[in-house]
Amino acid sequence: MVSQQQHRRYPIEWVLPVLFIVFLFTLFPVAHALWTSLHRVMVLLPGTPFVGLGNYRNVLASDYFLVALTNTVRFTLFSAPLTVLIGLGVAQVLLANFPGRMIVRSVVILPWALPGAITAFLWMWIFHPSWGILNLVLLKIGLIDSYIPWLTDPDLAKMIVIVAHTWTQYPFAAVLLMAALGGVDQQLYEAAKMDGASGWQRFRFITFPQIKAIIVILLVFNVLVGLTSYDVTYALTAGGPGDATILLSFNIWRESFSRLNFGNGSAVAFIVVLLSIGFLVAILRALPADIFGEK
Amino acid sequence: MKRLSNLWFVSIALVIATSTLGLSALAQEDITLNFTVWNYSLETIQDNIRIFEEQNPGIKVNLIDYAWPDYHDTIVLRFRSGTQTDIIYSGEDWLPEWASAGWLAPLEEIVPEVAQYKDKTASYAVNDMTFNGTLYGLSYYADLISFQFNANLLEENGIPVPQSWEDVRQAAESLQAAGIEKPFVYEYDQELPNFYSAFVAQVYGRGGQMFDGELNPVFNDPQSEAFKHLQWLQDMYADGLMALETHETKVVPAMNTGRHAFTVLFNYNLAALNNAATSALAGDFAMTPMPGDSHSTYGFAKFYAMTAEAAADPARREAAWKFIEFMGGGDYQVAKRWAIEKGLGFAQDPLFDDPDVQVAWSNWIDPADFKEQAQIAQNGTNTAFTGIWSAYFRPLLAKAIVGDASVQEVMDSGAEEWLSLRSQFLGY
Repeated sequence: MVSQQQHRRYPIEWVLPVLFIVFLFTLFPVAHALWTSLHRVMVLLPGTPFVGLGNYRNVLASDYFLVALTNTVRFTLFSAPLTVLIGLGVAQVLLANFPGRMIVRSVVILPWALPGAITAFLWMWIFHPSWGILNLVLLKIGLIDSYIPWLTDPDLAKMIVIVAHTWTQYPFAAVLLMAALGGVDQQLYEAAKMDGASGWQRFRFITFPQIKAIIVILLVFNVLVGLTSYDVTYALTAGGPGDATILLSFNIWRESFSRLNFGNGSAVAFIVVLLSIGFLVAILRALPADIFGEK
Repeated sequence: MKRLSNLWFVSIALVIATSTLGLSALAQEDITLNFTVWNYSLETIQDNIRIFEEQNPGIKVNLIDYAWPDYHDTIVLRFRSGTQTDIIYSGEDWLPEWASAGWLAPLEEIVPEVAQYKDKTASYAVNDMTFNGTLYGLSYYADLISFQFNANLLEENGIPVPQSWEDVRQAAESLQAAGIEKPFVYEYDQELPNFYSAFVAQVYGRGGQMFDGELNPVFNDPQSEAFKHLQWLQDMYADGLMALETHETKVVPAMNTGRHAFTVLFNYNLAALNNAATSALAGDFAMTPMPGDSHSTYGFAKFYAMTAEAAADPARREAAWKFIEFMGGGDYQVAKRWAIEKGLGFAQDPLFDDPDVQVAWSNWIDPADFKEQAQIAQNGTNTAFTGIWSAYFRPLLAKAIVGDASVQEVMDSGAEEWLSLRSQFLGY
């Protein structure tokens, strides 16, 4: 028997190495970013004087902020539910029994495994205004008379980046939802069928209650991914045309490395963090209390 | 036992001596220089490096490349993070910024013999490589932004070569009526530094300026040529006369479809347009002086610069200087190669009369046209904060062109930001 005293031996010493790593790679960078956001840190200007909330004021008053905020919120509000919905549909299809389903399952995960820049390149081949395959197909079948400027028209570009981003994210949702759907007791469906329940009723009263927790988790996850998304949109439109697809996360980079103002860049980063927390709180508050099985 | 101890002692001494000698030989043997470039024609750069390494045993050059739109930001990131960087491609627009930050070595101060190349280099290129009176590098290439057109298409439709932007508009309308849907194709990507330079080139063509002698913005005056030109671009797009492409590598094939007649690009793209091996319509394309009253344009130099980090170490400094001189100086073999194989412009005077260059260039351009345009080219307004401001202004330009903002809004916002930066950096 190991005594309770032996269990309590050296707890600090055991935890310290891990805490040190957490401090070094998480707390220190966050603290440093917070410090930077409260100081004027411009590479080309001497000194780093304390400016309080000055950087936050600069960012909030800037030309781009409102547009970037609106774009980011719109991007997130469309892409997160869309990702979960498509993931759910794909998961249902992949659970069906059909020849070659293992191969299809492997292929479906591919978009999630691809780096964002490659994904953007693939979508550029489809949507490019001059040589994209979509324009060619639409023209050949007579649906359009002239090429559509998918990526250079502000409204269309906003839609395209959501499509491309969702395509990269839905496989992860599909995999998790497949696992959740696989856990639903099949006998319940059989009983419901015998009772004459329609497909929608079976989904609503059997499937959904049993996978709602994972749906919420995926929703929260995709909201966070949406709020901090950068790679696909940057590689596809670089925020353009103009600022039509500019996102807040872009401006962390742009303020820091294009405009060499690390104070403003860090302030944007903390605004994104606050926004993420706001979204999380709103989602969790909107949920029923028993969502995770608690009474 | 004693013999055994002695044997041990001798063995250990030998091991230490060998290791020390080995280490010291290793230290003398190789210096590896990190050379960062934007990823244009990497195979040519690699081959030039191979030749250099053969001629300079003991110096290795590690090539690191980044995409052109990301180049500035990535270099800043390398400098900020202290990543070993020895030689870089630099540009006229970034020199004041990077030199002010102390990231680049004032080459003329640490290697005085570099000054010998000044007299053999076109003055606009020397200006672009000079900051606070000190030369910071040797030229990789020096070129122009030029107005390029499909001469065959114009001839077929009986349209004269445009001399003004009004002519361009009229020609575009005529071509559109003849079935060319979008006669003008424009390189449009707010992340490209040359998205701004190309706009400046067109303003220069009109005889305008972006700033006055005291660095006051003049572009926000509705009577200024810059203001008029942005309005011109916005109207061309709104009226369906202009197509947008995100990069020169897409403009060139687009021009080769025969669906566009005019563009404004770095001049070396004309070599690609007229390259029979890759272009369907090779031979149809030409340049003409930038439309407008003055026909001037934007001339610039891109150059090899040594970092302050490399200069701080005497051995690296010497090796880096050897590499820079090989690439941008000496007998100009590397610059000549770029000119012949890729059509890159140059600033080295001896190359203008080089028969090999003249023969190669006559395949894709009339050298007299290039010389005429080069003689009236102007530098940009390069200050320590021009790069920062350009990163702010380019998205505004992009926004105005597609009609997402009015020209007045964009120009006013750009002017306000310029004045704010001027106040921070120059105190007035």
